[in-house]
Amino acid sequence: MADLYRADVLISCLHGQSADLAPTFRQEIERRGMAGEVRVVETGCRGFCSVGPVVSIQPDGEFYVNVQPADVPEIVEETLVKGRPVQRLTYKEPTTRKSITKYDDIPFYGKQMRIVFRNTGLIDPQSIDEYIAVGGYEALGKVLTSMTPEEVIEEVKKSGLRGRGGAGFRTGRKWESTRKAKGDVKYVIANGDEGDPGAFMDRSLMEGDPHAVLEGMAIAGFAVGANQGYVYVRDEYPLAVKNLNLAIQQAHEYGLLGEDILGSGFAFDIGIVRGAGAFVCGESSALMQSLEGKVGEPRSKHVHATDRGLWDRPSCLNNVETLANIPVIMLRGAEWFASIGTENSKGTKGFCLVGKIRNPGLIEVPMGMTLKEIIYDIGGGPPRGRKVKAVQTGGPSGGCIPTSRLDLAVDYETLSQAGSMMGSGGMIALDDRTCMVDISRFFLEFLKDESCGKCAPCREGIKRMLEILTAISNGDAKMGDIDTLETLAKTVQAASLCGLGKSAPNPVLSTLQYFRQEYEQHITEKFCPSGVCRSLVAYVVVDDKCKGCGLCIKVCSQESIAGSAKQPHVIDQATCIQCGACFDACRFDAIQVIPRSQVELLPKQEVHA
Amino acid sequence: MNKLIIDGAEYQAQDDQTILDVCRQNGIEIPTLCYHPAMEPYGACRLCTVEVIRHGWSNLHTACTHPAWDGLEVKTQSPAVYDVRRTLMGLFLSRCPHVPVIQNLARQYGVTEPPFATDDPDQKCILCGLCVRVCNDLVKANVINFSDRGIDRQVGPPFLEKTRDCIGCGACTIVCPTGAIDIVLEEAGVYAEKPLGPTAAIYVPSLQAVPRVPVIDTDSCIRFRQQDRSNGKIADACGVCQTLCEANAIDFDQQDEILDLTVGSVIVATGFEMWDPKKLSQYSYGRSPHIITGMEFERLSNAGGPTGGQILLSDGSKPKRVAIIHCVGSRDHNAHAYCSRICCMYSLKHAHLVRDKTGAEVYEFYMDMRAFGKGYEEFYERVQEEGVTMVRGRGAVVDVLPNGKLRVKGEDADLGKLLAVDVDMVVLSTAIEAPHDADKISALFGLGRTADGWFAEAHPKLRPVETNTDGVFLAGCAQGPKDVPDTVAHAGAASAAVLGLLDRGEVVIAPTVAEVNRDDCVGCGDCLLVCPYTAITRVEGKAQINAALCKGCGTCVATCPSGAIMALHFTDDQIVAQIDGVLAWA
Repeated sequence: MADLYRADVLISCLHGQSADLAPTFRQEIERRGMAGEVRVVETGCRGFCSVGPVVSIQPDGEFYVNVQPADVPEIVEETLVKGRPVQRLTYKEPTTRKSITKYDDIPFYGKQMRIVFRNTGLIDPQSIDEYIAVGGYEALGKVLTSMTPEEVIEEVKKSGLRGRGGAGFRTGRKWESTRKAKGDVKYVIANGDEGDPGAFMDRSLMEGDPHAVLEGMAIAGFAVGANQGYVYVRDEYPLAVKNLNLAIQQAHEYGLLGEDILGSGFAFDIGIVRGAGAFVCGESSALMQSLEGKVGEPRSKHVHATDRGLWDRPSCLNNVETLANIPVIMLRGAEWFASIGTENSKGTKGFCLVGKIRNPGLIEVPMGMTLKEIIYDIGGGPPRGRKVKAVQTGGPSGGCIPTSRLDLAVDYETLSQAGSMMGSGGMIALDDRTCMVDISRFFLEFLKDESCGKCAPCREGIKRMLEILTAISNGDAKMGDIDTLETLAKTVQAASLCGLGKSAPNPVLSTLQYFRQEYEQHITEKFCPSGVCRSLVAYVVVDDKCKGCGLCIKVCSQESIAGSAKQPHVIDQATCIQCGACFDACRFDAIQVIPRSQVELLPKQEVHA
Repeated sequence: MNKLIIDGAEYQAQDDQTILDVCRQNGIEIPTLCYHPAMEPYGACRLCTVEVIRHGWSNLHTACTHPAWDGLEVKTQSPAVYDVRRTLMGLFLSRCPHVPVIQNLARQYGVTEPPFATDDPDQKCILCGLCVRVCNDLVKANVINFSDRGIDRQVGPPFLEKTRDCIGCGACTIVCPTGAIDIVLEEAGVYAEKPLGPTAAIYVPSLQAVPRVPVIDTDSCIRFRQQDRSNGKIADACGVCQTLCEANAIDFDQQDEILDLTVGSVIVATGFEMWDPKKLSQYSYGRSPHIITGMEFERLSNAGGPTGGQILLSDGSKPKRVAIIHCVGSRDHNAHAYCSRICCMYSLKHAHLVRDKTGAEVYEFYMDMRAFGKGYEEFYERVQEEGVTMVRGRGAVVDVLPNGKLRVKGEDADLGKLLAVDVDMVVLSTAIEAPHDADKISALFGLGRTADGWFAEAHPKLRPVETNTDGVFLAGCAQGPKDVPDTVAHAGAASAAVLGLLDRGEVVIAPTVAEVNRDDCVGCGDCLLVCPYTAITRVEGKAQINAALCKGCGTCVATCPSGAIMALHFTDDQIVAQIDGVLAWA
């Protein structure tokens, strides 16, 4: 049995500079002679990226944010020895600046509901004992000893669980088709090929709670009649690969994978296949091609993978997040799960909330929460002085939803109807300093690189759309180009081979739907009101508002701003590169974005740097 | 049987058919670029996009990949379909502005100018993947594939470097819809042993072939060549002919066979070979494409030949003057002293053909006109009447002039003058000779050969088809030069002789045959070497005589160093007794 400790130091955020935290804690605890009574655990992600690295001390639940190695002796001295919180390191509520000591009291977590990420950040992902201690593998035991495969499928169907990878196919139906498909050998595949830029839900899950995925897979295997599963995970996630491998090994040692699991006669094994990180390999048919060792390219799917998938055998492919829901559904019942969420979208969804927002991070919320609640209540709204302009959901092939529609409830249908999609759960807040033409261009740039190039509309169409968008943001476009862009987008959407191509025009179509006027402004006025498209804008100082504080002079990388203290400053248009750093830095709104064409109309001003 | 509605009309389909299959079968036109019936549908060009209505839901799908399910409604010409194809053709035309196939298809959808800027005006590849699939799936050479992805995708061998794994079959060039692939002979000798480029590996040998069925050239056939590369293992490559042959008549397992037959008699009809005129340099054979042998002339004037039977020069024009030289290699002490017997008549036939087909002047250089057969003299006269100039005398020298014309020099014996004629084409009526490997046949059957190399008959006048080896007969030119009627007669005689043996069922041989005393034989093998009838073989280390073959000539008896062979009824004792008898009487 594991040794007993009086306290645990849980360290999340294992990436980047926080790698030094755990060794520092261990050294300090060793030095204080507490090695036998306090344990240091490197857990998975807590999701609260804006205040990371975070450390929490159990069992009392002190929650420290922005912890640096230098803070370690103080935490050990105060909390572990003297038993009181270090006020300096606690989370401060942004408006009241009130200190919040306990994790549960922080508003970022208050509105969240953690089902998938129930264990991440709380247990040691490299220990199967800890997973079992929080109820892990209980569901597998229940399923193998007291349920038939049909009952499991019925339960999943009743729960209303839908695929968390993006398309939202009903999981129970998929399992049922695989179960009914003819064939002796069937496969369960977990899709951990998370390719959206800025998304890390699957990664956090596989790193922080690998057993949840494995348990879900084993239950799926039992339900569909498969004895072999594969986790397809991208090689850019080395910790996920490591933890999954370790978890598989431990599960084997405990008899929870392999032959005759829990004496039930059911055999199930899981292999890990590392993908090379192509976005298109998240698409099911391309993923299976890649799994077979071929080039990851999609193929036509008139015959479903549930009938003929991996190696032409019936295959059930689920996202890792979908699978992590399964043990909870089995334990707490379909009714409980179905009570969460909206009519057609049940349960919770993990999102990577990023962009122009105060509290970026990994969140999990019940389906049906409005975008407003997510952005403002959990995300804390935009930073000082900025306004939210739109929310981009669904990753690169999702779409932008304008502020006017922020009271949309997040579920599969409403997001598609709004011209975006659930996707795997990317959510990017865009503020008024974001140009919608530029954001389309950014995503199409990504998709151009990630298109496999097999089918013509996706390969050629994205390139041409990108050319038009580039022309618009350079001021080289004419009015008819918007129509051409729209025609192209609709063709690519209608005629592409796979989901990547079919959804690739979404950024363009959704921004055209809601921000067409901004496109037109780029073309007719040759002006980018957000100040992003550099060829179209110039930054000037508004003399009345400038207090002469000199902050803009400090941030200007080109040394293009001159001016003496308490005198209005001047920007030299000849050397200015329109980076907008001065605009962002100015506290008095004294920097203004004007169309580039108006620069010549400005009174000539001498700049003395 | 599935029923589906296409453009308003009902059609029937098999379970394994796609919408495209049904449309093609019923003459409904759907454009495609990446489709080929010999390969799995790929769905990359998307040009075959059609509107498919199922359970009330309308969607765009590619006809090449969508199964022809029961109850589908398909629209191949709806506005949505047209719009997609139009935009696609605009994209293709912008990529490849100068490819006729793309230009024509684009025009059908109202696109005449590339709507977008072209990156590379010489670009011909539309990345349809047909070449990649044919190379990997059919040819199984796995030489080319896609590299890079998205708009940077391109086709080529690994690392875009030259590879010797390419077997130069040319399948990729055939399937490429835009002509983007060329086969280039890079250096002489790279593929020296194999033909390069799109050679049809299955063909009917000639229009007059009997039976008129195709043969597979295993040197060119992809499947057989891949088999060579896999060290004799059966390669599952290509097989397109087998897939597409409706009569199911292709059998790759057919091989040359060696049959062991026990027979009582053999007819040797191994024929002749053409004598190589390069051996006498005065004929300049090989120095000009217009100096050809009689056999080459036959090929040229054949309706199934390279010119479809027209007699043309290498530049495609008709010759104006042609010389035909008799006795090239025959009746010549520098080559063969004998008369080849067939050349006079075929030369006359050639003269007739040249006159008939081209109207050119013909000069026949002959020494004696040997028109000995029935009706031959009449034909000779007819050719003379057709205006062929007969020059009595050997055409001695052929010169190739700097302007490419040919000058034939010889003596006109009738006029007693030297003669030189400038002509466009020279036909050399070359001799026929015994096959180069006649010595092997000779050793195999114990056949004698005459000084000129032909197999020797048993008697030049009385036994022209028999040989000195019983049961072995000769037919045709194996015995000596013959024309067709003579060959047929000779072969008939040989068959009759064989039939006579078969009819008798058994043969009577003279009792004077040699016999080996196995106790005395030491197995030296000298008798095997000297036996002219190949009647002796070595069995268990000792000589054994086949009594049916032995003629009792006694050569072996005289040769045997151990005195182990004796001729029955002709023993030493019998000879001595005969001598004693003669002397006693005297």
